Order: sequence, then C-alpha cells, then structure tokens
Amino acid sequence: MSTTLTLEGIEKRYGATRAVAGVDLAVAPGELVALLGPSGCGKTTTLRMVAGFVEPTAGRVLMDGADITRLPPHRRNAGMVFQSYALFPHLSVAENIAFGLKRRGVPRAEIADRVRRMVALLRLEGLEARLPRQLSGGQQQRVAVGRALVINPAVLLLDEPFSNLDALLRESTRIEMRRLQSSLGLTTLFVTHDQAEAMAISDRIAVMHQGRIEQIGTPRAIYDRPATRFVAGFIGRANIFDALREPGVTLAPAEEGGAAWLLRPERIALDAAPAEGANAAAGTVEVVSFLGTGTHASLRLPSGRLPEGPAQWTDQFKPGAPATARWDAAALVPLRAA
Amino acid sequence: MTSLRNGLGWLLWTLSALGFAYILGPLAVIVASSFGDTGYIAFPPEGFSLRWYQAALTDPRYVGGFFISLRLASTVALLSLVIGTLAAVALTRLDFPGRALLEALFLSPLILPTLVLAVALTLFFASTPLLPGGTPRLIAGHLLVGVPLVLRVMLPVLRRVDRSVEEAAQNLGASPIKAFLLVTLPALRPGLFAAAALAFIFSFDEVEMALFVGSAREAPLTVVLYGAAQMQFDPTVVAASSLLIMLAGLLMLLQQVFSRR
Repeated sequence: MSTTLTLEGIEKRYGATRAVAGVDLAVAPGELVALLGPSGCGKTTTLRMVAGFVEPTAGRVLMDGADITRLPPHRRNAGMVFQSYALFPHLSVAENIAFGLKRRGVPRAEIADRVRRMVALLRLEGLEARLPRQLSGGQQQRVAVGRALVINPAVLLLDEPFSNLDALLRESTRIEMRRLQSSLGLTTLFVTHDQAEAMAISDRIAVMHQGRIEQIGTPRAIYDRPATRFVAGFIGRANIFDALREPGVTLAPAEEGGAAWLLRPERIALDAAPAEGANAAAGTVEVVSFLGTGTHASLRLPSGRLPEGPAQWTDQFKPGAPATARWDAAALVPLRAA
Repeated sequence: MTSLRNGLGWLLWTLSALGFAYILGPLAVIVASSFGDTGYIAFPPEGFSLRWYQAALTDPRYVGGFFISLRLASTVALLSLVIGTLAAVALTRLDFPGRALLEALFLSPLILPTLVLAVALTLFFASTPLLPGGTPRLIAGHLLVGVPLVLRVMLPVLRRVDRSVEEAAQNLGASPIKAFLLVTLPALRPGLFAAAALAFIFSFDEVEMALFVGSAREAPLTVVLYGAAQMQFDPTVVAASSLLIMLAGLLMLLQQVFSRR
C-alpha cells in the first residue's frame, strides 16, 4: 500500500531566478526523506510542487510511476502538515479531522469511526468539540497531523511541522511523528532547516543549496562523508581547511583529492606534548567551556585561525596554556568546492 | 508620574467627550426636537408628544419612500457585496500587471463628492440608453460608491486570512471553489456583514444621486425628506429623520453583535 514518490528534473523559475534548479529524487515506499537547507534554498518550493500548489516550470512528479505533475492539489492524495498548521478556525477539532473524509464522500458512520480512532491515536480525547484557538500549540500540531493522516494519504508532506513548538515539546513530538510514520509505513517528504531535527528522524537527508540537491544520503553518511564544503559547514560543527599546509599546520590526509578538507572537532585530541610532523597543530588554548557532556576547548593556531575545538573529558587545559591538537589521517575528509 | 498620567487621562477623556458631542450633537438635537409638542421645530423641545411620529408613519409619502429606499439600499448592498468581494479576492489573490493601479482606480470614487458623481452620471446617462431611467440608473450610481466601500472593508480582511488554510482545504480534497466556500468565506463573515451594512447605509442615506438620477415617481425617503424640508418644514420631517438615525444606529449595533461572534 505504500507509495513511491519520484521527482524527475523538477525546476521552478520565477522570471530570471531559478528557485528550484533541477531536482531528482526518489523516495522509497515507507521512507522518510528530509529536504534540509537554509531559507531560500528551494526546499519549500519543491515540497509545494509535490503538493500541487506550485506548478513546475520543467520536470515531472510521479506517484507510483503515475505522472501527477499537472494534477490540481485536491486530486492528489497527499496529506500535508503546514508550518502554521493551517487549521480551519471555524471548525472544531473533530470537524477539522473529518474535513478530508467528507470531501471524499466517506459515509457518515465511517467518518465518525475514523475520526474517533485518529483522536485516540493522537491523544486528543476530550478536545473533539474545541475550536483550534482553544488548543495549545502542541495540540494544534497534533490536530494538523491527524487531519493529514486520517485520509490515508499516499504520501505525507511535512513543512517545518515542529518549528512552532518549544524546544522540549519539539523533541518529543518529532519522535512521536517518526513512530507514527514508520508504523503506518508512510512515504514522507519532510522540509526542515534544522539539521538536528533532520538527523534525528530521517532515513535519508537531501541537503539543498541554491535550488539543487547538493548531497543525499543517510544522516550518518552526510555527517561523516559530506561531499562539499557547503554540506560540511551546514551539518554539524566543522573545521574546514582550504590548503594542506598553513602556518603551524600540515595536513596529511589518507585520501587524495579534494578542494578543501573537513576535520570534525570530535576527531581532534588535545595534549601537552610538542607537535611534530603532520596532522598536528600547536597553539594556545583560548576559551574553555564546560558543556555538561564534556569540556569544549578552542585553540588559537599561529595562523590566527580559531578552529572548532574538541570536546574533552578533562579540565587539564586552562586558557592561555600551550596545547597540541592531533588527529588521524582518516579523520580528514576531502570536500568538493561547490 | 501618577498625577501626570491622571492629568493626561483627564485631558484625553475630555477631548474624546467633546469629539463625540460634536459628532453626535446635531443628531441628538434632531431626535430630541422630534418629541416636541409644538407645531414648529423647537430645541430644547417644548412638551412631549409622539404625534409627529404618528404623522410620519401614516404619511404615504414617507412610508412609500421608506420602502423604496429599503429596496434600493438592499439591492445596492447585495450587488456591492458580491462585486466588491469578488474584486477584493482577485486583487489579493492574483498577481497581474497593473494590480495596484486597478486597486487605486476601484477606490477612487470614494474621494469624489457624491454631488460631482451625480452631475457626471446625469450627463452620462443623458447621452446613453444604457439603462432604463429611474431606479436602475440610481442603483448603478450607488454601486460606484458601494463597491469601493465593500472593497475598503474586504481588502484588509482578505489580506489577513491565512492563505495556507485554503491550501490545506485543497490538500484534503476540496476543489478551489469548494475550498473558498467552505473555509475562506466563513472566515470573512464578520467583514462581509460590516461591508454590506456600510453599503446599505450609504445607499439609504444618499441624496444627491437620488435627486439627479432617480425618478420622481420612485423617490427614496431621503428625496421625500429633502422636498419636505424645503416645502413645509414641520416636525414630521424631524420625526422621519429621527427614524432614519435610529435605523442606522440599529444597523451599527447589529454589526457589532455579528462581528463579535
């Protein structure tokens, strides 16, 4: 029952600007793929083309192989959760959830039954008669999710669905969302600008930049082996070196090639011994911050650069003390320029 | 600090009171003198009597004029509401070249004195057989102001409505028209009532166009009053005017009640 969602060379031009500049993407049945990127990267426009609110300038959208590119939104079986939730303000919780079923001509008794089950699934019992403005943010979000799920959509589209929740609620809600999505086996496209959110719940992440997918892969692959400078910088904390040699630092990577090199802070170890040879850099400890899970030290190198420092379990380094950073050759990841 | 704020508060309160007195004073004079017992208009009223109301309500010219006005204003309100709302939807939802210019053009009749419009319409209709004379032409004239009034109210209301709510309805299977009817229209309801009330009150109270363009056989209440005020300025005119004022007040009250819900 799960659906494949395929985007083939999707493009959207507004006059001379290309909001989306050729996106190819295949979402497998039951898979959750995140479109991750900064604002203006084209992720929302891509999602809206799948929903049918934006007509692509070029390319095709396919659901289970059927071309839906020119189908109006109400003829596509896609459930969408909007960033603002977009609940119907004059309808009760139950009526909001029933809306899609009524449009589909589902018999009244079945509507009542399915709404009841959705209300129970999302723990909205007792709130059925409330209007949206009488609900908390978290409850509104659950109504928006329920309204999209109750129609048994072929694909689920999530447009920054957690961004209006406070930090604590956001984490529990995204786990809940992921649990629902995988138990229902729903093919899902999820737009977010929050890399931690994308990493936490996605099967794969498509990092978008300037209207294109810059890299697509599992969260681990994207984090450990970012392909480009942009991806490396956008996801996680990163030290990026443009040359193999700069004052006080010589890089000796295990792999050849690359226009730049990535070194993740947690791959760096600090010690007090003098630096000798490659993959080591002597400098001065500048700031030491205790983060609870570790102590974070940043090191000023002779070049003046202040790289993202390692998290250490010791408090042995004081600001101003000399220290040497070391890393494995394998910790250096080659990056493409673009 | 407290005394300053209190002083400022008193000043503002006094200014508001003066403002309201200035606006409502003449109306109060009319309403008050309509209850007088003298055969001429006096303020403050001398004695108390409802006989001028009785006279106004039994005079076929006033009663006939009232129903003509009621029909006229209802027609104008309804047509203005439909045309104005659809225009507002187009102006807020569609992006086309000259949109801002068109909006300014639509609203421009509001800045013209209705007398100017009335003269222009008289000249215009004199040279065209476009509409049958009398009431149809008067309705067309009133729409020139009624539609902009509706637009004035509906444009900001429509701009405030969250577009994604309509998109959500479409996403859930409603056609664009159904989505508009089921989701957007209910959100517009308080605005619609206010807009219709404004157009209604304008049309009901308008004199110049009714004098110039309307037919003598189907004279609205304002024209009857205008004539009466010139011919025999007795308290019946004041009583009929008071009834008009009270009707407008009632409409505004209803509008408040409806927009609260």
